Amino acid sequence: MFSLLSDQVPLARRRRLLMLTILAQVLFIVAVAAAGYATTAYGRTIRLRTTPIDPRDLLYGDYVILNYTISQLPASLWREPGPRPRRGDPVYVVLRPAGEAYEAVRVYAKKPDVPADQVVLRGWVADGWRRTLRIRYNLERYYVPEGTGRELERRGARKPLLVNISIAPWGQARITGVKTIVSDSLATPRR
Amino acid sequence: MSRKLLETDGPDWVKRGIISSEQHRQLLELYPDDAQAIGLLPLLGSLLVGLSALSLVAANWQGLPEWLRIGLLLGGFLGAYASGEFFLRRGNSSVGMGLVGLGLILFGAAIILTGQMYQLIGYDVTGLVAWAVAGTLLTYLYRSRFLFVLTVVIGGVVQGYTTGQLGAFSYAAAVLTAGGLGYYWWRRPDVVLGGVLASGLLWQTGLLIGHLHAKITWFFVPAMLIYAAGDWQTDRPAGRALQGPPLITAFLFMLGLALYGEVGSYAGMLRPPLLAYLVALLLVLALSLTGKRTRDRMGSATDWLLLLPGFYLPGGLPLAVASLVVLYAYSGAVLWRAQAEQNPDRVTLGTILFILTTMVAYFKLTWEFMDKSLFFLCGGVLLLGLSWYLRRRNARASSR
Repeated sequence: MFSLLSDQVPLARRRRLLMLTILAQVLFIVAVAAAGYATTAYGRTIRLRTTPIDPRDLLYGDYVILNYTISQLPASLWREPGPRPRRGDPVYVVLRPAGEAYEAVRVYAKKPDVPADQVVLRGWVADGWRRTLRIRYNLERYYVPEGTGRELERRGARKPLLVNISIAPWGQARITGVKTIVSDSLATPRR
Repeated sequence: MSRKLLETDGPDWVKRGIISSEQHRQLLELYPDDAQAIGLLPLLGSLLVGLSALSLVAANWQGLPEWLRIGLLLGGFLGAYASGEFFLRRGNSSVGMGLVGLGLILFGAAIILTGQMYQLIGYDVTGLVAWAVAGTLLTYLYRSRFLFVLTVVIGGVVQGYTTGQLGAFSYAAAVLTAGGLGYYWWRRPDVVLGGVLASGLLWQTGLLIGHLHAKITWFFVPAMLIYAAGDWQTDRPAGRALQGPPLITAFLFMLGLALYGEVGSYAGMLRPPLLAYLVALLLVLALSLTGKRTRDRMGSATDWLLLLPGFYLPGGLPLAVASLVVLYAYSGAVLWRAQAEQNPDRVTLGTILFILTTMVAYFKLTWEFMDKSLFFLCGGVLLLGLSWYLRRRNARASSR
């Protein structure tokens, strides 16, 4: 590539490299889209419950910040011998259905085998205190369709939200949808 | 010489007998007209059509099926690249490069929008680094200064987003800017690009220092490494341009230290472990001096006066005085060199730095001890006297 800086590069070679560069850009976009699509198509969908948050913190321009019930776990769920995980360490959280949403039951340092009704979600330790582990799943941001952020924010401040997550067999997870809990939609009209 | 000058002043030269009209014609032939500029009206018209298409798409974005959205994003940047290439082949390089740059920006937009569509972006910097990679490759392929500047900006934006939003530092983006664009500048030295590159690298350095929560003075080790690279550059003006931003930050830092250095909390962020800091700085100094010697520019070694670590003195007055000494040493050295080289631009620069330093020194050392009106009176007299003296010396230097 550095030889491109000399003045004797044939025009044909430059053109060919240019085509390759642009083709690579196209492939990159297609790959991002394919990864997103495949995660939904081949993934297993679970539901997670968020905790109500201060509505002023929720909406950031075009995305909302989600805080899950499984974002903060009691340290007693840690099932590995040896020291507690440190900030930035990857962890594997085993989830089991509990009512409408999945809840965490155990936390491991390596991906464990689980029964069919349970799933494993990968996360990273954001902070470790004495009694709790704060875990980041990279699912904390939800990009909302334009104009609907306020509505979501208003509802999320009153009640927890239910978030659909699709987990691919290779571990990648992404949000596929956010909704309010069904009983909430029957509530009396809001201000 | 520009064609414009030949066209306007040429007939006059012919009239005065400086050149013959035949020579005038030959000279005009040497500077052919730029390739036919395309009409402004069709350009504006197509811009409006493009804008209407854009707003139509933006208004219905959510309603469009995913494959169509991806198709539009791909079509957007491919179309811009293709039309850029079209104009370049017709010899209209400014419009052509502008469109290629637009294509690069649209590629970045495509990365972000595709990521949002699948809720993927926001965590992963790979996509954004790919944007900077594309910019670097296109800069090499087109050998375009415009794309170079654009890629420096993209690198800065990517790094800002990574540290600000994701709480991480993308070493890949930093290496790409320093290595990829740095090598380009090294091989094709340029004054403007040197300044832009150094500013972009300093921005990323600042973000790194903030991200690592390191003592802020560590900033000057990488900053002076950029400076040292300028010493090794064979093209003197381009090397000087690369050295400008590091020197400016060092000067402003010292100025700030002289003004606010006595605040204890601020002084606490200044002092890295003495030995480690000095060793690192001395290594860079050695590298810089070797470069200066090899390229025969030892005169500029006085730049390093700005890096005297006066901030190891205890906070309060000693710190302020130490930084003032450093500032005076530097601006004095600039003036002295300007006199020696009889360089009027540098005399102006040295004068400005000297006056700035004097203002700070005066403000710092007398504010607390003097009545306010007396303070302003003395300050005004001091500045007037100083400028009179410097201007006189200036005039003498340029008349000699």
